[in-house]
Formats: sequence, C-alpha cells, structure tokens
Amino acid sequence: MTDTQWDTYEVFHQSRRGDPHIHVGSVHAPDPQMALQLARDQFARRLKCVSIWVVNSRHVTATDYQDEDFFAQLTDKSYRDPKNFGAPEK
Amino acid sequence: MSAEIPSNLPAEAIRKLLLAFADDELMLGHRDSEWTGHAPILEEDIAFSNIAQDELGHSLVWYTLLEQLTGRSPDSMAFERTWNEFTCCHFVAYPRGDFAYTVVRQYLHDAAEQVRLSSLGQSSYSELKDVAAKLLPEESYHLMHSQGLVERLGDATEESHSRMQAAVDAAFPQALGLFENLDGEENLVSANVFPGNEHLRTKWLEKVVPVLDAASLQAPVEAKNGRIEISCEPDYGGRHRSHTAHLKELVQDLQKVYRMAPSAKW
Repeated sequence: MTDTQWDTYEVFHQSRRGDPHIHVGSVHAPDPQMALQLARDQFARRLKCVSIWVVNSRHVTATDYQDEDFFAQLTDKSYRDPKNFGAPEK
Repeated sequence: MSAEIPSNLPAEAIRKLLLAFADDELMLGHRDSEWTGHAPILEEDIAFSNIAQDELGHSLVWYTLLEQLTGRSPDSMAFERTWNEFTCCHFVAYPRGDFAYTVVRQYLHDAAEQVRLSSLGQSSYSELKDVAAKLLPEESYHLMHSQGLVERLGDATEESHSRMQAAVDAAFPQALGLFENLDGEENLVSANVFPGNEHLRTKWLEKVVPVLDAASLQAPVEAKNGRIEISCEPDYGGRHRSHTAHLKELVQDLQKVYRMAPSAKW
C-alpha cells in the first residue's frame, strides 16, 4: 500500500509587521498552498496575524539532541559577554 | 440603530430575501458543525468547525438586520419557528454525506455566496450593501478553502475522482435551489435591491463550471451558443416552505436543547 500520509509543514506566525516570525507548530498538508490555508485555521484564527510562513519539515536541517558536544561550553567564556561594559541606558 | 426600509423599496420582498439568506446560512452552518470530531484529518476537522461557526455568525448578522425590521430576535427566529416556517433551500439541509459531498456542497455554496454578496455591493438598500461588504472577505476565504479541496480531490486518485463526481451529480441540481425565485422578486429587481436569481445563477455557472471542468468533474450542463445551459432538474421548493424530511430532522436537532428550557438565559 502506498503511503497516503501528507507532509508536515512547520508554521511561523507574525503578529505585527517588523516583528519576527515565530514558530507556533505544524500542519499536515498535501502542498504549500494548502498548508498556508490550514495554518490560517489552526493558528491565525484567534491570534492577531499579519503574515504566516510555512516550510516543509523536510527542509529544516536540525541538530541532534544526542549530539551534546555541539553546544558544549568547556571553558569560562564569561569575558565575552558584554555585561561588564556598563552600556548606558537608553 | 434603525434599518428602516425606505418607502420607495419593496419592504415585504426585502424581508423575504433577508430571511432566505439567514435560513440558508443557519442550516449549512449546522451541517458543517456535524464534522466536528469526524473529519478525515485533524486540520480539516478544525477548518470545518471554523467554517461552521462563520456560517452561523453570518446567519446571526442577517437575523439581526431582520430584527431591526420586525422586532423578532435572532434566537426566536432560529429556535422558536417550526421546521416548515424556514425558507432555506433543500440544498443546505441534506445530511452531510461523505467528505466529498461536503466539499462539493461547500464549494457550490461558497461560490454562490460570493456571487451574491458581490452583486449586493450595488444594492439600493444601503443596509444590505453594508452587510454584504462586511461578510464578503470571510466568504472569499471559505471559497479559497473549498475550491482548493475541489481542485485537489477532483483527479487525485481513482477513488477520489469517483467520489467527487458522485458528489457533483448529487449536489449540482440541489445547489440550483439556491437560485429559486422568491415571491416578489421582480419588485426587488426593478427597485435595484437585488439583481435577481436568474442573473446570479448565470454568474455562478460561469464561475463553477470551468473550475469543476479543470478538476476533471462533469457538471450536468451543456454549452449552447456560448451560454452554459442546465441539463438537470433543479431541486426547488425550499423558498416556498415545501421542505424535505431532512430539514425536519435537522431543526429538531438544532432546537432540542433550547426547547428543554425555553426561558433559560444563556
């Protein structure tokens, strides 16, 4: 039997122009256009929304939770933080 | 707010027109809501529940305008009339069928609704014009959704095609009931309140037949001298309160809770 499961699309929601698009979840859809429509119903019905992006989940390249070394912080790097410079308040 | 009908316009026919719009939306909204928890995929389940609420919301807008003319509340209109007092077409009251039938019915309805609401932008009755302008964007979204499904399911697989074609065969003659003539319609047309059902039906045919065609679905029509002519028997009766048993069953269901305690405050 052929696989009838649709692709998943990751949904990114923007509530105001200029704000970042924020990942809010995913939808199953047969193609990107349908994914946009379904994302509208799942995620833009109650939240104020000016723009949605959908990205086929296949196109997301992600790190692996098993690969802890990828994010390892082995030495003290606090000197790199800008926190000691006392930047003036805006 | 007063929505009083100017004395040069046919008041009785306008009330009939508003009632037909309101009753259609109420019944279709109820049928759509029957998919909540049952649609083939979760995303469509939510989409149809959303559309159901939109259609009920539209019926409320029409009933509210009627209330300003007659004094009868939307709740009373929806819950206190008997089934043979409604003037919805048969089309919107049929059982939900399979998902193909639901999609085709919704598409044929949404296209008719868009044609209807767009045409009211020129209405001589300003309240009608305002309400139509308010509802149009939401109906345009419904159309995008249902047309998208028709285009994808029409020729996706052998099974989807045969189910969709069977749905068109069943729903098309029923959908023509949306355009059944109203009593006093000629007065609405001559007063420029409404362009008339025949005009809307022509516009609708020009819209839906090419879309169905592109989705490999055959509607019961023939092209004659550059015009699309219908080659099936329209399912009429609803506008004149001659209903099927399906409406009776639907109205019982719709009013069941309300009738348990009619004086309850919600």
